[in-house]
Amino acid sequence: MWRRTADLQAVACKRRDEEARMARAKRKRREERDTAHGLDHARIVGTLLHDTAFSPGRAQLLIPPPMAATRAAAAAASAKQVTRKNFPESLRELAAHMKECDYVAVAALKTGAPTGWRRALPVDTAETAYLKAKFAAESFQPLHIAVCPFRVDATSRSTVVAYPYNFHLFPRDELHVGMPSYSFSCQSSYLSSMARDGFDFNMCIYDGISYLSRVQESLARQKIVIPHLRQPSPSPSTSVADSVFTTRIKSRIQHWRKGYAEPRKKADDSLVNSLRKLILGGESYGSRPSMSVDVCSDRQVQLVLEIIGHTFDDLVPLVIPDKSGVARAVRVIFTSSAEDKNLLLMDIRKLEDEHSFKFRGFREVVDLLSSSQKPIISYNCLSDLTMIHTKFIGPLPPNMHEFMCSLRMVFSSVVDIGHLWREIGPLRKAKNIQAALSYLQRQYFVPMEIEIPQQDGTNSVTKGGENVLRITKLFAKLSKLLNISPKCQSQSGEQCYSVEDYCNIFYPGCMAEESDDVDCTNESDTTRTVNTDCVLFLWGFSGISAKELRSRLTRLHHVFLKDFELRLLDKTCSALIFRSSDAAAGLLRDISSESPSLNDFFSEGLKAAGFDVYRKACRSGLWDSDLAEALESASSEPATSTLSGHGSSEIYWNSSLKLDLKEYLEC
Amino acid sequence: MQCRRRLRLAPLLRAPPPSILLSRLLSSSYPSPPPSGGGGDGAAASGVAVKQVTRGNLAEAVEELRARVRDAAFVGLDLEMSGVTSAPWRDTFELDRADVRYLKLRDSAQRFAALQLGVCPFRWDPAKSAFVAHPHNFFIFPRKELPYDSSSHEFLCQTSSIDFLAKYQFDFNTCFHEGISYLSRAQEEEALQKLNVLHHDAISVSPNTSEEGEDVPLKSTADLLFTERMKIRFNEWRDAIRSNSRVDNNLLGSNKFGTDQFQTVFFKMRPAVTLNGFTSHQLKLIQQVLRKNFKDLMYVCTFGEDDTSEKRVVYTDNSDDSILLMKDVQQDLLTSRKAKVESAIGIRHVIDLLASERKLIVGHSCFLDIAQVYSKFIGPLPSSMKDFSLGINKVFPHIADTRHLMSANDAVQYLMRQKSKSLSSAFSFLCPTAAESFTRTPVKIEVEADETTLSCFASGAKHEAGYDAFMTGSVFAQLCAHLDINFEHLTPKENLAKNNKLQKYINHLSPSFNSGTVLDLSTGTERPDTGYKSRYPAAVYDNVVLIWGFQSELRAKDIKDSICKVFGPASVTTIFSIDRTAVLVQFSKQESVNDFLDLKATLERTDSAISVLHPLSTILQGGKTRAANYETYRDICNSSVSKYFFADQAEAVCPASNTEPKCENLDAGDALGRNDGTLDETKNASVRRGEGAKYTSKNRDNSDISCQDILDVLQDGKTLFSKRINQT
Repeated sequence: MWRRTADLQAVACKRRDEEARMARAKRKRREERDTAHGLDHARIVGTLLHDTAFSPGRAQLLIPPPMAATRAAAAAASAKQVTRKNFPESLRELAAHMKECDYVAVAALKTGAPTGWRRALPVDTAETAYLKAKFAAESFQPLHIAVCPFRVDATSRSTVVAYPYNFHLFPRDELHVGMPSYSFSCQSSYLSSMARDGFDFNMCIYDGISYLSRVQESLARQKIVIPHLRQPSPSPSTSVADSVFTTRIKSRIQHWRKGYAEPRKKADDSLVNSLRKLILGGESYGSRPSMSVDVCSDRQVQLVLEIIGHTFDDLVPLVIPDKSGVARAVRVIFTSSAEDKNLLLMDIRKLEDEHSFKFRGFREVVDLLSSSQKPIISYNCLSDLTMIHTKFIGPLPPNMHEFMCSLRMVFSSVVDIGHLWREIGPLRKAKNIQAALSYLQRQYFVPMEIEIPQQDGTNSVTKGGENVLRITKLFAKLSKLLNISPKCQSQSGEQCYSVEDYCNIFYPGCMAEESDDVDCTNESDTTRTVNTDCVLFLWGFSGISAKELRSRLTRLHHVFLKDFELRLLDKTCSALIFRSSDAAAGLLRDISSESPSLNDFFSEGLKAAGFDVYRKACRSGLWDSDLAEALESASSEPATSTLSGHGSSEIYWNSSLKLDLKEYLEC
Repeated sequence: MQCRRRLRLAPLLRAPPPSILLSRLLSSSYPSPPPSGGGGDGAAASGVAVKQVTRGNLAEAVEELRARVRDAAFVGLDLEMSGVTSAPWRDTFELDRADVRYLKLRDSAQRFAALQLGVCPFRWDPAKSAFVAHPHNFFIFPRKELPYDSSSHEFLCQTSSIDFLAKYQFDFNTCFHEGISYLSRAQEEEALQKLNVLHHDAISVSPNTSEEGEDVPLKSTADLLFTERMKIRFNEWRDAIRSNSRVDNNLLGSNKFGTDQFQTVFFKMRPAVTLNGFTSHQLKLIQQVLRKNFKDLMYVCTFGEDDTSEKRVVYTDNSDDSILLMKDVQQDLLTSRKAKVESAIGIRHVIDLLASERKLIVGHSCFLDIAQVYSKFIGPLPSSMKDFSLGINKVFPHIADTRHLMSANDAVQYLMRQKSKSLSSAFSFLCPTAAESFTRTPVKIEVEADETTLSCFASGAKHEAGYDAFMTGSVFAQLCAHLDINFEHLTPKENLAKNNKLQKYINHLSPSFNSGTVLDLSTGTERPDTGYKSRYPAAVYDNVVLIWGFQSELRAKDIKDSICKVFGPASVTTIFSIDRTAVLVQFSKQESVNDFLDLKATLERTDSAISVLHPLSTILQGGKTRAANYETYRDICNSSVSKYFFADQAEAVCPASNTEPKCENLDAGDALGRNDGTLDETKNASVRRGEGAKYTSKNRDNSDISCQDILDVLQDGKTLFSKRINQT
């Protein structure tokens, strides 16, 4: 947060700087917005708190800090903590709240994020960024997912009504089928920062909610089957064998039923009862008597069901499968009356539901999100949604295109808050939610209050819960600035945007860890699109700085005399960005022909490769080693079939890279 | 180890006692203390006070432990880990060759984290004629303690192991929050080396003139304005200092700069200002201003407590003074960094002290434990079992394994017949609690807790490393009694490792419960365990073929059947399924291995009815079936990749293009000579196979097409093929 206690003079000085910057940014932003969306100036200027915001006195007048403080405290304190103990009822509440709301904010806390070159780097294309996100989603485990349905209050547009829920997850093998997850990776820095923020690991591991993905559920259902009701399907014809079977079974059931259905002559004698049980071969289902009819084919199951359906009103047939899911027997249960029968049927259905609930676990929430069709607001979407896909839907497809198709089937619209704030020019440099929020706080006047109606005593603060509220708040502010409304209704001539306009465009986050640093001046603004042909990867140097390497390179080959950029990707490898693809291609050619002009280059032990080798390293999943080693083994492998695939061959160099998924989906 | 985990799952003998003390201690800082298990009177069930050691009390605990270990006759040791196998196929199998088994265990030790270390020194007290035990339970968490440490600090958790620990009320909050970090010996060395390099670099460049941090271009007006303002303000500040060089702090504090960031303080006897509230970009600009305009103002960055950096601008009288200052600062930096490395060693101090005391270390099926100790506290695990054994032998010269002891000695074996050899059941069998008769217990054991620091004691619970170490030591003491070792003659402080009767058991242990071998740590050699009853005939690894990637519904039995159809019913000695996607097939004859691989290649080449009708086609169906020899299996186990299914792992380690060069050659059709050679070989092989197959076809009357028919057709096809090649 901006230190208001800081030295006044420095603030003043900084403000002067910012004024100058803002003036330029404002101009730039206006131009951009005008060209992009054809907005009228008046609205933007109206929402902009002019330079007055820079005077601390007036800023405090407009947004009194005490109020801000209480608001934050209230917001942080009231997310509902959900574990397996209170999951069923929380799910019902959530479903109700989801219905009332326009959007759902989602944030996950994971056990780690990729480090080194496995992070999304500025040299990544959409495709390689996806492959990296896939790797991360498959290795790490979400321990906590915060879901927060919210709506902007219709009467006062500066109040958001939010219902935050914090779900604690643990991939416990509840059904003993080796699912959902055999093992997962943890990064100790993530775990210790979670511990610092007060995350309760004991609660999470002891009582976290388990889950199965959709694919895992269908696998598990093949393995585990429970007794169930089945409707008899009309059978076409009956053979002789069938009718013999039918008569035999019918008489058996009749005989057995007589023992219970006929009015008792005398008061029950326990001895008589147990004798009857022995003789008639009866068992009991709960408190009700039952008997088991062995069957050896599906046809026989049908016949038994038919007999009971036609002849006996007071009997309920239950199909009992064996371990492989094939029907082994039909259990016939005796009910004493019509009400009793209904009661039994209800009990059985309830059991089935409970069983399904046990299968799905937390996935019920994901299914709820999916079926509600509400726009999902998230930050770092690529990483969170690949994770949601692999844990709750099914294994991640090998390329981005298929992933997007698959994801669209589940969640129709996903908004990356990072993309949304980049719609506002000066915010483009914000590195994280905190920075964006504090920038908005300083430079714009968008009062926004979060109201959390549900309050009970069991709540506590967690980082994930905080994040989801920040996303909520930021989205509310941004949607007001950008005039986004859930249903696109034109109000008084103002143009308005539907949230669909911002959907499904993801920014792969480069951040290793969420920092609370709000300093957004460091990131340079010069984004340019670079073709992957201009990118080379260089390795084989050891322990020198980028500057040193650069100066050494100029002596080695004439291409390095021209202008090029150099950036270290990890400690073993650096990327070279040339101005033209010719220079890069020329160098590669010289390397492959082992031209004598490169003798020094080789003798230094340097190696270089083009982008396709990097792509291959990402595709073949050589994540375990340093980048240099991965490139080395990728380049030593014989060239397999064409590496061209989906995806552009463009990277957004030096930018906070953006992937427009609409490019991947002609739908 | 695997066995130990499994056996330990045996029904609870004692209710896990609630960590009453611990939770009282921690409840203030944590939302939920671990729930007490069972609800029964847990403390009475175990009644063993185990000292809990976390970050906060490590230093005194180590000092106390050092004295205890020095007095001890032996030390019990146990570890709790975040997992055991990274994939089901990484389990150690009975049929594994020794090197493969080691690779699997190494993989486990490298990937998983150690979460608790239990150390329990046992001292012989002749006055009481009893052992006195001091169980310690250390929480471990591999935190990154040094800023320039580049190792990844990533570890794997096996879901079932974590769940298992949770069942026994393992306190994850304490572990992740308060766990003690560590540096291995190798890491420490590396860190110190880096420090020295940094220090020399910093000293060799003269201060302020150094171009470190290249010029920041003043791109924006904001930067320009800021730079100018800083120039003015530093100038004013310097003038103020120069004009009254003997002023005290109050006087300076009261001048007009006193109200803001320019509060004058003293740093190493020189006037200075602390730079607060600047962004990193602004700090860079300030450095640049100082470099360019003020030769006598030094930018100094020091690190205070808890790693916060403090930046100051210090006034120096002249250039000599400034050099002196910078040297001083660098020296301080080096000292503080060294201290940090020292403190980052953390839990390794415990291992170091155990190593330096050279006492007898006792574990219970502890191969994986010592492998973990090596990998976490010594250095990267060596590539072979032998190197590892010799390495660990240098650190811990005397190790005894109670599980090995139970099966190695006849008297003990007789005693333990029909008994579970898991730690907790052995403990309850050999060391009955005080409530039961004392007469059965040959050796008395007492637990001593220091009354004054009761707050860090908790009642021990099963599967807590400290309590497990205690149980291990207790079992060991009882076993020693059964080996006729008389403790009465034991002098205090005597190391039990020197005892003659123990010699043949020390440094002998089984690498895994199902290995059927005993490893001698002092020589690194492994020999078969005579007492071990193997479920399989002895493996001949040259005769083994690894098959993976076949269709998922295929079972090991189907594969065996279809191979037997071709090679004869006695051709397959054993078939072992690694997981759902892979099997190891051991042939009775070594040449069958190559025959099989060749036949497979041939069948995959010819795309005709023959290959569809061939008995092996059940295995080859789907076109993704791959086969290789045992060495490939070893390589796959050696890989750092870890996939859940073996077939995926194998594909990742050896992609399809690499392992089947033969097909490519044939397709290319340019290596004619070699092709002829291969074809001849296959011809011979198939003749031999024909004989075997004839035999089979007689037995299988109901098969529509006899194998002989198929082979005949195959033969014809091949002759045609080679003719064609010869013509070209």
